[in-house]
Amino acid sequence: MKTIPWVLVSVLLTSVSAQDAGLKQKLEQGFTTFDLDHDSALSAAEFNTLGEYSPKLKGRPQVVDYLFHTLDANRDGKLSHEEYMNIAAISGGAKPSPEKPALIETPSTAEQIAFFEKKIRPVLADKCYKCHAENSEKIKGGFVLDTRDGMRRGGDSGPGVVPGDLVKSLVIESLHYTNKDMQMPPEKSGGKLPDSVIADFEQWVRMGAPDPREGKTSVVKAEWDTEKAKNHWAYQPVKKTAAPSVKDSAWPRNEIDRFILAGLEAKVIKPVGDAQPEALLRRVCFDLTGLQPTPEQVDYFLANHDSQAFEKIVDALLKSPRFGERWGRHWLDVARYAESTGKDVNCLLPHAWRYRDYVIESFNKDKPFNEFIREQIAGDLMQAKDSRDRGLKQIATGFLAIGSRSLNERSPKQYALDTADEQIDAMSQAVLGLTVACARCHDHKFDPIPQNDYYALAGIFLSTETLYGTAPNFQNLKASPLIELPTDCGLPRMPLMLTQERRAEVEKDLTKTERYGTMQFYATAAKGVLTGKGFNVNNDPQKLVMFVGINAKIGECKTELASYDSEGRQKLLAMGVRDYPSTPSSGPPTKPKSVEETFRMIAGRPAQFSSINDSPLFARGDVEKPGAKVPRGFVSVIASKAPAIPSRESGRRELADWLVSDTNPLTARVFANRVWHWLFGQGIVSTVDNFGTMGQPPSNPALLDHLALRLQNGGWSMKSIIKEIVMSHAYQLAATHDAKNFEADPENTLVWRMTPRRLDAECIRDAMLAVSGALNLEAPVGSAVAQIGDGAIGGYPIKSLRGPLSDEPFLAASSDFRSVYLPVPRNAVPDALTVFDFAEPSAVKGSREVTTVPSQALYLLNNDFVAKQAKRFADKLLPLPENQRAAAAFKLAFAREPTANEAKAAQRFFADYPRLDSDVLTSFCRALIGSAEFRSID
Amino acid sequence: MNTRRDFLQTSGVGFGWLAFQALAQAEADAPLAVKQPHFSATAKRVIFLCMRGAPSHVDTFDYKPKLTAADGKDGRAPGTKLHGSQWKFAPQGRSGLPMSELFPHLSKRADDLCLINSMHTELPAHAQSFLKLHTGNAQFVRPSLGAWALYGLGTVNENLPGFVTIAPPSLFGGSQNYGSAFLPAIYQGTRIGVDARPIAKAQVRNIAPPVGSMAQRKEIELVQALNREKLQRDQVNPEVEGAIESFELAFKMQSEMPKVMDLSKETKQTLAAYGIGEGNATDDFGRKCLLARRMVEAGVRFVEVTHSDWDHHFKISKDLPATCEAVDQPIAALLADLQSRGLLTDTLVVWSGEFGRTPHGQGADGRDHNSKGFTAWMAGGGVKGGMRYGSTDDLGYEAVEDKMHIHDLHATILHLLGLDHERLTYRYAGRDFRLTDVKGSVAKKIIS
Repeated sequence: MKTIPWVLVSVLLTSVSAQDAGLKQKLEQGFTTFDLDHDSALSAAEFNTLGEYSPKLKGRPQVVDYLFHTLDANRDGKLSHEEYMNIAAISGGAKPSPEKPALIETPSTAEQIAFFEKKIRPVLADKCYKCHAENSEKIKGGFVLDTRDGMRRGGDSGPGVVPGDLVKSLVIESLHYTNKDMQMPPEKSGGKLPDSVIADFEQWVRMGAPDPREGKTSVVKAEWDTEKAKNHWAYQPVKKTAAPSVKDSAWPRNEIDRFILAGLEAKVIKPVGDAQPEALLRRVCFDLTGLQPTPEQVDYFLANHDSQAFEKIVDALLKSPRFGERWGRHWLDVARYAESTGKDVNCLLPHAWRYRDYVIESFNKDKPFNEFIREQIAGDLMQAKDSRDRGLKQIATGFLAIGSRSLNERSPKQYALDTADEQIDAMSQAVLGLTVACARCHDHKFDPIPQNDYYALAGIFLSTETLYGTAPNFQNLKASPLIELPTDCGLPRMPLMLTQERRAEVEKDLTKTERYGTMQFYATAAKGVLTGKGFNVNNDPQKLVMFVGINAKIGECKTELASYDSEGRQKLLAMGVRDYPSTPSSGPPTKPKSVEETFRMIAGRPAQFSSINDSPLFARGDVEKPGAKVPRGFVSVIASKAPAIPSRESGRRELADWLVSDTNPLTARVFANRVWHWLFGQGIVSTVDNFGTMGQPPSNPALLDHLALRLQNGGWSMKSIIKEIVMSHAYQLAATHDAKNFEADPENTLVWRMTPRRLDAECIRDAMLAVSGALNLEAPVGSAVAQIGDGAIGGYPIKSLRGPLSDEPFLAASSDFRSVYLPVPRNAVPDALTVFDFAEPSAVKGSREVTTVPSQALYLLNNDFVAKQAKRFADKLLPLPENQRAAAAFKLAFAREPTANEAKAAQRFFADYPRLDSDVLTSFCRALIGSAEFRSID
Repeated sequence: MNTRRDFLQTSGVGFGWLAFQALAQAEADAPLAVKQPHFSATAKRVIFLCMRGAPSHVDTFDYKPKLTAADGKDGRAPGTKLHGSQWKFAPQGRSGLPMSELFPHLSKRADDLCLINSMHTELPAHAQSFLKLHTGNAQFVRPSLGAWALYGLGTVNENLPGFVTIAPPSLFGGSQNYGSAFLPAIYQGTRIGVDARPIAKAQVRNIAPPVGSMAQRKEIELVQALNREKLQRDQVNPEVEGAIESFELAFKMQSEMPKVMDLSKETKQTLAAYGIGEGNATDDFGRKCLLARRMVEAGVRFVEVTHSDWDHHFKISKDLPATCEAVDQPIAALLADLQSRGLLTDTLVVWSGEFGRTPHGQGADGRDHNSKGFTAWMAGGGVKGGMRYGSTDDLGYEAVEDKMHIHDLHATILHLLGLDHERLTYRYAGRDFRLTDVKGSVAKKIIS
């Protein structure tokens, strides 16, 4: 048994003063005593042990933790001897507080200024200014040392100089060459300075870093020049331009066409002719509803294909419920919609489908786009007409809750910040076309988005509680509640029941587990192994597994019981967000009284992020480096009037209003461009999710602004803008190749023709079901994920817990419903979707890739689902006379007659078979489904 | 559209229009065509033996006599005791590399192995570190190492996928671990089987034709006739050209893939060498290793084989020997087999888990997670054999000498493949991405 020098420790951490002669020796003694493994460094554990022996520190793990991290200058997770000895410099009787680092700032004396001028300034000028001054060619690390302000403010890594604090002054650290990543001056500038010079710098910092150099630093820490960056086209107000005059005045059918034609005429390009009626009908049906025209529609349109008939068809398509399923799915790509958390644990989200249905309904009802956005950001804070509306507005906020999340994240602080980060990322890219999340660790490198803006937004989302559900399991200590919708909202519910027997069974299980848990909890607590950090059962891993198991079991039972009402019907639950209370919260329990509370103590959301509050600016995005608080606010480069945020609310309501305010130039432009992209296959701005300086400039800026204004002035009607585009001459052009035009504008950015496009995965699959006659157009209630309920894909192979949930049923998911209703768990998206470039739901994705790879051919040739549809298709042909089958098949699959060559190819195919049975016809039908034409629109 | 062509056009390369067009065409037509590496490579292909669960380095490849001497003393974590390895180490081969008795077969190949004893990574959490090992990033969805290798080099046999992963876990990031993320989809890994089921009956998805091969050929001919007709109508349509080619490739792939996966043509001796046989502890991993050999022989650029049972928190005295037994003979046989076929010189074999385990015990008979120090090894592909590179401290807690982070491992693997990890970039969302982000340095000392 080691003897611990109690007296030493209490001296060490209560009254040290730098002048104490015996101090150094005592510190040395402490170091050797607690360096239990004799590696000449104190690990966090060793330092904690030291803390346990100090009356001042005992039971205050945060303080010990803070001390440790403050001393650990090079962040290697252990204290070298040198780092440890700095304890004298930072204790000094002052209590360390993570929120307010002590600053000693007294007016400098003449002597001190003289010291600076003699010992410090010459070195700075000689060794540093070349790379770290306002007028340096390229400012390294965003750090300047030629003003006092710049030197104290620091750069990407943190403050350069903190008066009186050697440890926090990164300049001192880099002079010492202790941190491999930060050694200054660099070798090429002469390398490490002599020890005497370093000592001068230390003395200077200790005396309070006196510095007479005036002048505010306006250092640009990123690669952008503030003023120039602000002039970037996307941040300018939307401009109204009269539709230009054109030479060929007969060509334009509406204003859009005049913008397009002006662009073409300027480059002396003549647009190709109009699309054939069959092609146009197929195009507009797929574009607006995701389905091919029925044979009746084809016959009708071929009989009267004037513009009035076309308009009638467009109106009918926009009115069809299929429209919302097609366009809602577009938005779901942008909203990174998915039905599991993805990442490490990948828990199912069985209530996510409500958000999917909300989006579909919004498009079908032509909800004004500004309302649509406001509801998704702050629906919970808006007035509702009735309970159905209340329910829908609450569901809308699911946008902020369906992102991927790392449920196995160990640090609750990190988890809170990551959640907010994901929300900022999704919101800013989806609505503004800006990558604001790039400013988490430093000012945005390319766009004028300072780190301050990021934390202004972070404050809003950190004041917001995200409710995503998930049942606790072996790896998930981060389950959250869900939102219970008004019982009279009339929204559909999954037909799932909790039988009396099952309820009794679960209740019995719960009681049993809780009783057992209580017993184990007190037995463990009595042995003193319940510490401020949880169960200290490291030496008994089975015991830890047992506690995790108890916690998971209790959570699982409670989740199940809480999911059903008194009649045993599944409750109306939804994912979404709500504001935290405005009063400071007590946070997770600190003196737990049960297993559950203990895990809440370990994993629960920290108090600092559980109420309405501004966020600190975290240096380098590091949760352990909080700086000054940043008042909640929006993206400053957009000179739109920013409403004030009431102190008792998160600010989401104001954020929502600001996003869709008429003076915000981005929201309308970004959405108008998305609509254009979904109708033409490429946006006017081709980088649809990035309107920043790294995005592409618009190919036709005046047209983009015209569309944005139409959106804003047309009551933000989504259907109106879609109709206006579809009715344009540009949209109705043929897809014909033209060598001369191709040479002038190969990417067709000016729209001299309609770009031929590959259909989306959903359209391809729906088309297969349509030709087979099996397509079920009814919208199902819920989804296959909701049917399975809570659980983690892959599960966790601990036998006492629920068995692993295979991804196979999801990968092979099949049904006769439209594809938008297929399950979408992250990392287990059905084959039918992924094989044709479904939008990876880990992040905002306004533009899908289009690849042509062998796995697609393998899918079309060999997949069971395809075979089944081909068989059904064949069964429809079988009753027909043999000589009519090919023509009928072509009409169904391509809405046209076969050409002479195709008819010959079909004959050749059949000729080799002695008997045209169902198998042969199935093979024939599969070939039609597999052809390039089946999956493309011209 | 985010197509390769789009990328080429926006990447600011200074080609004239025609050059661009030619390049775009070449890219679009053959993204898998063999590409020249940045410099001459010692390795042409990779077999990555992925040991999921974090193998205990101090019991396998990191000989720690001082840990044995300190057995029973206090460990670094409060209340823990150091556990010396229960298994003996002895010098093996001409190099005298110290090997644990848990690997009697692999010990005979000691002179092929370059033990990297100084591996380290950030988090002692499986999921995050497993993703980091595969993609270099635990936080965002990023392309896998195999996808980068395929993107950089293309493949020599287009009738097979260029990147195959055998029995990966569906947890711990699942398909992200072999995904292509923002790289074109063609670079993603093709999965065979899953960790929880035996490999013997596993198949590539959609590889088995529902009809006989004659019937399918006829079917494909009809598809192609329709496609050619469309191409003629459209005059220019790369999408249709691509579709025509993809059907031919698919047809060859579905005939070649089952052949590669069919182990029945292997000799009895070969099967026995790998330990394949019903009831053998080595059967499943033996099959996986033999599959890997057949794949690289057939021209697959990157093959990953996963063994998922290394998370020994308790019962390590029983479970670790069982796991070692399952992989020891198959891996030794794989190295010998590659050598006898002349493939070992330019095939890089990499063995690694996501991190290691603590030198102190967890409970009486287990070890906890340890991310600060662990061991990976490499063999073949231009790596020095019979050497230990880097080291952990005396007890095996953390890497101290020639430290090798996951980023460094990635940089080194790419280097051996002739790729400069700083030049292998892909432009996405307005910036150039790398496997190693802004980090990574090549461990030159291990290259022969």
